Amino acid sequence: MTSPEVSPQLEVRDLTKSYDNGRIEALRGVSLGINAGEYIAISGASGSGKSTLLQLLGGLDVPTSGQVLYENSVLGTTINLDEYRAHRIGFIFQAFYLLPTLRAIDNVQVPMLAVNGNSTSRADRAEALLIELGLQHRLTSYPNELSAGERQRVAIARALANKPTILLADEPTGNLDSVNSARIMEILTGIQLKHGMTLIIVTHENDIAHAAPRHIRIRDGRVAE
Amino acid sequence: MPSQLSFTGFAWKNLWRRRLRTLLTLLGIGMAIGAFVALVGFSRSFEHEWMRLYSSSGIDIAVVDKNFMNSSVSQNIQAKLDAVPVIERDDPMIFNIMDITPEVNAIIFGWLDNSFEFSSLTFTSGGPFHNGRAEIILGEGLAKNLDKKVGETLELQGSTFTVVGIFHGGTALETGAVIMPLDQMQQLTSMQGKVSGFHVKLKPAPAGESPAHYMKRAQALIEAAVPGLNAQAASDRASNNQFVSLAHAVAWGTSLIALLMGILGIANTMAMSVFERTREIGILRAIGWKAWRVLLLIQVEAAVLGFVGGFLGIVFGWGALHALAALPATASVVSSSLSVVDLVEALAISVLSGLIAGAYPAWRGAHLSPVEALRHD
Repeated sequence: MTSPEVSPQLEVRDLTKSYDNGRIEALRGVSLGINAGEYIAISGASGSGKSTLLQLLGGLDVPTSGQVLYENSVLGTTINLDEYRAHRIGFIFQAFYLLPTLRAIDNVQVPMLAVNGNSTSRADRAEALLIELGLQHRLTSYPNELSAGERQRVAIARALANKPTILLADEPTGNLDSVNSARIMEILTGIQLKHGMTLIIVTHENDIAHAAPRHIRIRDGRVAE
Repeated sequence: MPSQLSFTGFAWKNLWRRRLRTLLTLLGIGMAIGAFVALVGFSRSFEHEWMRLYSSSGIDIAVVDKNFMNSSVSQNIQAKLDAVPVIERDDPMIFNIMDITPEVNAIIFGWLDNSFEFSSLTFTSGGPFHNGRAEIILGEGLAKNLDKKVGETLELQGSTFTVVGIFHGGTALETGAVIMPLDQMQQLTSMQGKVSGFHVKLKPAPAGESPAHYMKRAQALIEAAVPGLNAQAASDRASNNQFVSLAHAVAWGTSLIALLMGILGIANTMAMSVFERTREIGILRAIGWKAWRVLLLIQVEAAVLGFVGGFLGIVFGWGALHALAALPATASVVSSSLSVVDLVEALAISVLSGLIAGAYPAWRGAHLSPVEALRHD
């Protein structure tokens, strides 16, 4: 729950998002606050609006009305969305979305090309992240040479590349078997604890949702916490 | 040391994922730039050869009427030119182009047998012709093409001429030329009493007078002596004649069409590439790449296509120019030399073509909504 004394890291105020000229309302007046370092699961049925909420929290899209605030600054107004995504946010997707022409170590360096820094430090950081995630033997492997679990670990390393303060994961275990799912969740929660990062996971898996200290349910575009 | 990913390395990997398409695109832009290098190189070489022709012969001024191709001046004005104090020599000449055989054409000059222009020629066999005789001398390139030696005959426009000399000229135009007595040329071209113009050699400039000022003064004196005629500086005559202008116009016109084809090829490749990579562009945007950086990536890819294509084009064009310089039909008017400026210009045009071709796909890629792009199948 949001502490009244502490200003939330992320705050959502009366957020709505509609598509198709208002015919589809994905979010209908969502408000919530998220403190720095929280681990939150967002669940809901398909089409409930949970992924839309994650996209708005991550600055991938802009709301139809309402505001998303990061450290009291409004996204898209006082904070540039590109800068926000580059420096504050790490995205992890269900389908991994690795670039097929690049080796694992190069995929991890791609976000770092968006910010300044020399190529040696980029490569060093990418290597360190992959080693930290147990992929030291897969540095030069292409995505199609990796297992699903390994691909998601590369994607996690990529999400961590620019040292974000918030990790957003959209169904991160959706394409994984139970063993790999457990491994990925262990990694994500381990990172969250180790770095004190905010971790927001969208999931439809109850055991993952219930394992999070805070669980937000979205139903028909509204919070049913 | 861990593998390092650079921006340009990333761009190159994107191009190389579709090797066949990239190679075909490179071939396309390479052919276009090759055509540009060959055609523009041809026309510049042609102009350059004219320039060398005038400078190696010691010609300072050409006295002609308004035309280059069909200049026709009365031979009687020579007495007026002789009286111009700055003129050292003023020799009449006729200039024409004829088909020697169906495959070989050549520039034909008519000179007096004591023309000062002989000074630029070195005879490799035989010697000069004599006025009043059906004699000709051949440039060594033309003699080789026609397989003619001193003592043999050559038929021109129904008249038979004896080859009395074969010379080495300072330029491709001379190497591929026929030179005959002025009177014989007048008969051959039905220009009795007429000449194409006079080639003038000036006396040395007086001390204290700049060459440019002396040239202008000499031109004014000559035009005053022969009203209605032009006294053109040899350098202007070389670059502003109708042959050179026509060659430039044809070369640039054809090259621009070829370049347009090349640009369309790159544009098609880049548009396809952006379409295929819509989701990847969405990923780049999601992980913090700004729109301009996506635009830059696509433009760098297009520029790389242009640069590598331009390099290929230079190789193609250089080969084509060599072939033209060796062909009997064109050997008389072109040399195979390319200047550094030509090469830099070709590369710059090629890269610019890439940037133009990549502009719309890059703009489109950069303005994709990250969410829409990620949803793209």
